[in-house]
Amino acid sequence: MIEIILLVSSVLFIFALKLFGRPSTAHRANTFAMLAMALAVFSAFNFDFSKYDSAFYITIVISGLLGVLISKRVQMTQMPELVGLFNGFGGGASGAIAYVELSGNSLPLSDVFVAIFSMVIGIFTFSGSLVAVMKLRGKLNDFNKKLADIFSVFLPTIIVIPAVLEMDDLLIEFIILVALIAGVIRVAVIGGADMPVVIAFLNSLSGIAAMSAGFIVNSIILIVAGALVGASGIILTLLMCAAMNRTLLDVLKGGFGTTTINNEYEKDPNNTSPEDVAILLNYAESVIIVPGYGMAVAQAQAAVKELTNTLKDKNIEVKFAIHPVAGRMPGHMNVLLAEVDIDYEDMFTLEDINSEFSSTDVVIVLGANDVVNPLARTDEDSPIYGMPILDVDLAKQVIVIKRSMSPGYAGIANPLFINDNAKMLFADAKEGLENIIKSFELV
Amino acid sequence: MEATFLLTLLITFLASFIGYELISKIPQTLHTPLMSGSNAISGITLIAAILIYPEVGESQLLKIIVLIAIAFATLNIVGGFSVTGRILEMFKKND
Repeated sequence: MIEIILLVSSVLFIFALKLFGRPSTAHRANTFAMLAMALAVFSAFNFDFSKYDSAFYITIVISGLLGVLISKRVQMTQMPELVGLFNGFGGGASGAIAYVELSGNSLPLSDVFVAIFSMVIGIFTFSGSLVAVMKLRGKLNDFNKKLADIFSVFLPTIIVIPAVLEMDDLLIEFIILVALIAGVIRVAVIGGADMPVVIAFLNSLSGIAAMSAGFIVNSIILIVAGALVGASGIILTLLMCAAMNRTLLDVLKGGFGTTTINNEYEKDPNNTSPEDVAILLNYAESVIIVPGYGMAVAQAQAAVKELTNTLKDKNIEVKFAIHPVAGRMPGHMNVLLAEVDIDYEDMFTLEDINSEFSSTDVVIVLGANDVVNPLARTDEDSPIYGMPILDVDLAKQVIVIKRSMSPGYAGIANPLFINDNAKMLFADAKEGLENIIKSFELV
Repeated sequence: MEATFLLTLLITFLASFIGYELISKIPQTLHTPLMSGSNAISGITLIAAILIYPEVGESQLLKIIVLIAIAFATLNIVGGFSVTGRILEMFKKND
């Protein structure tokens, strides 16, 4: 009976992934996955609920309620932090289970290795995710990379201490300590705009930790589901890396954009005013908006929607061009736009829209920088050379809404800003858009 | 090498492969809900916690550690699915 429940559960998980392939069916995918999870958890009890004491049930009920509470309260702009936090919880849970199994002393040798693996990955995911969350909240500055590198080299030697002092029973605790510190240092050296890679990578690790925990307790469903999460995280990680033309190893090394490069501009940019932008837009037939992290920081989604409506009312075509690494997690911009009811049919990926810029009247760059830097195409010495970018500089007119000329994450100047066809509107994303919308009433 | 262990490895490989094939087809627009959804699924380690909880024996420390794992995993599952549902609802009404 249990086997049949587990079979159904596995099939439902795979089916859920299939349904996830299209925005219109994706909400059903979530229901399928929930059902699969419920069956899997139910089967673990093996129809014997009396083996469990009240402490067990109380823990489940309280943490379940807490989960609902958090998920109802969280703002869409905080999704990267929430996903980061949950990654940490998943990893921490697997790590804790592996530790308990190791302390039980009854594991066969092969399982001991799997358990140590699961524990290290789980604990690393836990501490790394918590640091990622702190960085996303701006509570932690970038670590000194050199110091972290030196520390990383010496870290594994801590494990030798209990061996030398003949404290065999403390070995596991020392491994935990090393994994904890390793997670902290590794993530701490990685800068903010590399967070999409970090979050996706930690997501993958939480799946791998769960999968290896499945090997220890001999649960096929745990292995299957863990493997699915591991695969999903790896795919996203590699997509994010490809979108930056960097390898995962390079991202994890950290320190990107901290070297100062010449970021002087040869001439002053063309300034513009909200009124002029409104006039320009009024005569446009096609507009592409390129959102970046600046839109999320300024919470400008509602203003974006309002401008979109204003333009569409005037029969102006509006599209959104979303770079894969825009924001702080994969798909971050899409969720923010969907939140304000912007149709996903209007959101385009880099490959789908890049050929359209040259025939577009006005492009609005909203709080994005490196992902529209033409140096990625032309300057072989640039740190972002070879990175796929949105070719906004080819459009007839480009409006850049940005607070200052300050460089983006890569720490380099963006010649787009002084291009002849570009104008700067110096403002916070939300305030800039609201002023443009106000000016429309006067046009 | 036991036959069951090899079979388990085969299943692991197949699951990873199917996962890779299906997830590769998920559009960029859904990458955030994909992450929060797979996040929820990684809480499946709750099963391991349920399986080992009755067997931890007398040690109060180990029992507490398993309870912490249960709390983390449950939060992960319930919170993850709930927030994924919220996000996907936003994509649904566009239809």
